[in-house]
Amino acid sequence: MASSATVGDLVSQPYKYGFVTDIETEKIAKGLSEDVVRLISAKKNEPAFLLDFRLRSFRQWLQMEEPDWATLGHPPIDYQEIIYYAAPKQQEKKASLDEVDPKLLETFEKLGIPLSEQKRLSNVAVDAVFDSVSIATTYREKLAEHGVIFCSISEAVKDHADLIEKYLGTVVPGNDNYFAALNSAVFSDGSFVFIPKRVECPMELSTYFRINSGDTGQFERTLIVAEEGASVSYLEGCTAPMFDTNQLHAAVVELVALDDASIKYSTVQNWYAGDENGKGGIYNFVTKRGQCRGDRSHISWTQVETGSAITWKYPSCVLQGADSVGEFYSVALTNNRQQADTGTKMIHVGPRTRSTIVSKGISAGHSSNSYRGLVQLGPKAVGARNYSQCDSMLIGDQAAANTYPYIRSQQPDASIEHEASTCRISADQLFYLQSRGIAFEEAVSMMVSGFCRDVFNQLPMEFAAEADKLLALKLEGSVG
Amino acid sequence: MVAASLSTPTAAAGAGPGGWVTALLAEAASGADALAASRERAAQALAQTPLPTRRDEAWRFTDLAPLTGLKPSLLSPAPTAQPEPAGGSLRLTLNGHSDPLAGINLPAGLEPISGDGLSESLGQVLAATGSAGLWPVLLNGATAQNVLALRVRGTVATTLELVSDAGADEGILPLRLLLILEPDASLEVLQVHRSGGPNLTSVVLEARLGEGAELRHGLLAPGAEAACLLATVAVEQATGSRYSGVSAHGGWALGRLEPRLVQREGAAHSALKALQLADGRQISDTHSQMVFEGPDGRLEQLHKAVADGQGRSVFNGAVQVPRAAQRTNAAQLSRNLLLSDRARIDTKPELEIVADDVRCAHGATVSRLQQDELFYLQSRGIAADQAARLLLRGFCEEVLQALPAAAAAWQPLASLLGEQGR
Amino acid sequence: MIRPDAPVLLEIRDLQARVEDQPILKGVSLTIRAGEIHAVMGRNGSGKSTLSKVLAGHPAYTVTGGTVRYVGDDLLSLEPELRARAGLFLGFQYPVEIPGVSNLEFLRVATNARRAGKGEEELDTFAFEDLVRERLQVVQMDPAFLERSVNEGFSGGEKKRNEILQMALLDPLVAVLDETDSGLDIDALRIVAGGVNHLAGPDNATLLITHYQRLLDVITPDYVHVMAVGRILRTGGKELALELEERGYDWVDAELAALERTPAEVG
Repeated sequence: MASSATVGDLVSQPYKYGFVTDIETEKIAKGLSEDVVRLISAKKNEPAFLLDFRLRSFRQWLQMEEPDWATLGHPPIDYQEIIYYAAPKQQEKKASLDEVDPKLLETFEKLGIPLSEQKRLSNVAVDAVFDSVSIATTYREKLAEHGVIFCSISEAVKDHADLIEKYLGTVVPGNDNYFAALNSAVFSDGSFVFIPKRVECPMELSTYFRINSGDTGQFERTLIVAEEGASVSYLEGCTAPMFDTNQLHAAVVELVALDDASIKYSTVQNWYAGDENGKGGIYNFVTKRGQCRGDRSHISWTQVETGSAITWKYPSCVLQGADSVGEFYSVALTNNRQQADTGTKMIHVGPRTRSTIVSKGISAGHSSNSYRGLVQLGPKAVGARNYSQCDSMLIGDQAAANTYPYIRSQQPDASIEHEASTCRISADQLFYLQSRGIAFEEAVSMMVSGFCRDVFNQLPMEFAAEADKLLALKLEGSVG
Repeated sequence: MVAASLSTPTAAAGAGPGGWVTALLAEAASGADALAASRERAAQALAQTPLPTRRDEAWRFTDLAPLTGLKPSLLSPAPTAQPEPAGGSLRLTLNGHSDPLAGINLPAGLEPISGDGLSESLGQVLAATGSAGLWPVLLNGATAQNVLALRVRGTVATTLELVSDAGADEGILPLRLLLILEPDASLEVLQVHRSGGPNLTSVVLEARLGEGAELRHGLLAPGAEAACLLATVAVEQATGSRYSGVSAHGGWALGRLEPRLVQREGAAHSALKALQLADGRQISDTHSQMVFEGPDGRLEQLHKAVADGQGRSVFNGAVQVPRAAQRTNAAQLSRNLLLSDRARIDTKPELEIVADDVRCAHGATVSRLQQDELFYLQSRGIAADQAARLLLRGFCEEVLQALPAAAAAWQPLASLLGEQGR
Repeated sequence: MIRPDAPVLLEIRDLQARVEDQPILKGVSLTIRAGEIHAVMGRNGSGKSTLSKVLAGHPAYTVTGGTVRYVGDDLLSLEPELRARAGLFLGFQYPVEIPGVSNLEFLRVATNARRAGKGEEELDTFAFEDLVRERLQVVQMDPAFLERSVNEGFSGGEKKRNEILQMALLDPLVAVLDETDSGLDIDALRIVAGGVNHLAGPDNATLLITHYQRLLDVITPDYVHVMAVGRILRTGGKELALELEERGYDWVDAELAALERTPAEVG
């Protein structure tokens, strides 16, 4: 159909964050060994418990095999060709933003994340991570007044070693899976958030990840702990330059929610996806898991995935505490040769736990977009409930939309409901909107946003517009 | 236990899955019947194919241990008591050895396929549906001693009943069936497979539907303790054909049904309705696959499962809609009743779509009996356990009612729920 | 209202069009002036719905000959959305459902696109809400419909009312209403017709495409055209519609048969 070809054209758009910042970088030699793990740990002056954790994970990683069940197609990754530590050459973390290399500030400003006092986003604290290190965190003092800790994980290791030792690796163990084990061995930086008892975090927290070096792997580690009755909303954003080689991004995110705590974690992911022939782009192999450890705790994942050559990620909730709640809201847009295998796991352990899954996949070009999910109700999850909805939108007849929702229940006094549907943007719908004076591009954009609305509604207000804009950007282009 | 060690694949490639299969093959190979050549081929393939383990995605939830614990020899079951056939149906008894057509006058429209016609057709539908390499199909191919092969022309008014009873002895009963429906032919078939002891009933049905043909197909399989069932139903449909498959199985230590349908040029109608029950320590499994190879195809699928006791129910429903299959309309619903806190349900739809103008919906629910329905019955004076039984029956009957009318004589619900003395 | 001196809004000359390889319109000519109400009648398959789709620019139809001037411009060279912004409105026979897109949002974007086309300022959300609530009266529609997705789950009558609501908001110069009466009960028909009558004025024009007389009982046309096999066979006043009602379409067949015998006279 003529118009779906034009819809396909529309989805192709140039990646606008593909620039490289020219800055002197300190890198270690490429390759991975126990010595490299020790070197990373030494560079960060880590305490013995953390070096132990890294080495244990590394040894386990050596015993593991790279997973292949998602049938994602990519040439084998040579783990000895990757550089595991790269940092812009600026000594120490600066006490004041004014001392940060202006090139770095400029980079983040270009990415729409101004960090300086005058321009920074109001009511959003930002931790900016450039390659392997965090270069700045805004609003730290204001947060500290409330007892909220928001800093890079390297700083946390120095200043809050007790908390790191208590929580790191307790949600995603060092041997959880191949990529998590790799991350546990070589993780460089990332964010640490701690919200003490009964504190409602006074502002949105956000980490912005920027890969700059072409041959570097990015292995961040994020840990968020919300104590009893605490609550926080956190957003992660990411971009990378355009290289024609593939870069590995293997992050681990751990969330811990104690009694009555609430964590809302949102991601707007826009890594470089490779060109229209599938050359270059990020391999995004990420392990994200939240543990509702306490009764009545609440963890909500919202993700808008638009980038990466290959995405392999399943933000999950382990619902341990009684009456705890897990949520997953996802939009995944794939185009060209992108491959996404993403979804969630909701592991219901405790009684009366509830979960909701809303997944919207949009496939265009020659891409492949799979939803893979697991809803598991254990024998003690009396009165648990799950509702899942997985919708796919297909643009053009070359893209694949796959749905693999695993359901496993061992609890009769519980209910699981799953619904899925497919739709497309039909020529008749487009014509109807056009015949009311709405331009083709806007018509497509309206329908895509409409399709994604249930998910966008879950994003923090400040970022809902950003997500809408990002999708619109992905849909921008010349109309034939 | 010997069986446990046999159920893991031998590390050396090509060394074969182990003694169980070897012993079985040795016994099955003999004979110079019409199937000798194909049996030889399947035996070679089987020897090269490791026994499926739980590392294989298709067998992830289904352990073959109950099967490999069985004596690896062929059965010759003796006739057992059967209910009177319903009027308008022709019953053929299958025992794996004797010709089921001996002494039978086939009704108009049905004729046996033999000789070259048979060797040309046998295995074609298995290949078309991608079933030829499946382990249960290889096992059947390597052991089956005869085949019931029929060609169908025009409308056959008689319901064909194909009946087996593996009885109480140890061993394996392989049954092979082939139906070729010429264009515009119409037939109703009911398969009934029973068992009363530690044995395996292995069934492979191939059905090819010509243009405009219609096959109404029922499969009723009430099992018994220690009995296993592996049934594959491969259906190839030409345009304008209609296939309606209604199945009910339960009561087997391991009961697995694999309906595999392909619409070669699309534009056909496929309907699948299934009920499976697992109680005690039973495993009830259905792996269905629907492939649309052309446009305008249609699928309506309802899969129902009940798990009680420590039973396990597994459903995997694959639907493939490639690029050529524009305007496909497929709906799949998996409804599961979990009645005990030691039972388990695993259900997984698998939708793979590469065509934009399609309507594919699927849904799944897992729950216990509806409390408000129970309460409604109780508020009318019905005791709780009786109300639960009534609701369970209602849940099952939606599928059982759709079986061919000839099934009624076999008392489907009572036989599946084990409420019937043997 | 016929005024011979009124400006010509739409002038169709010898329009020919096909869908896929099937020729449907085989030379349609029609002139519409401001203030006029035209009705095109004909059997299913006569090409009357195609005429409306071609005027609105549906991509499935290819124009193979003829011209359409719209207030002096070449209509056929415009994208569908530009035709709408210039004031050409098509009321669909089967309005599509667009799940996920809110009706209110859709109406606002469309209204502002048309306002931009007229050189008027865009309305902000609040001003638009006021406007839409006022225009809802025209079709006696429940404001609850604004909160739903475009046409999703609407009954046939509700969809048609939503079409007329759009017409009321977009303030068209030429409104083409394709089988607006189909699938309506008598009350809904009265409401829809009331809306059309309310919106018809001396500066705009309406082209009704219909199969039945009953719509013309409530909207009085100035001209009635009878279409068959892709041509306008006859043009008359409102009495032609009554004649059709009385005699049915059989006489059309007779005239067609006559035409078939003497093809040279056609044109």
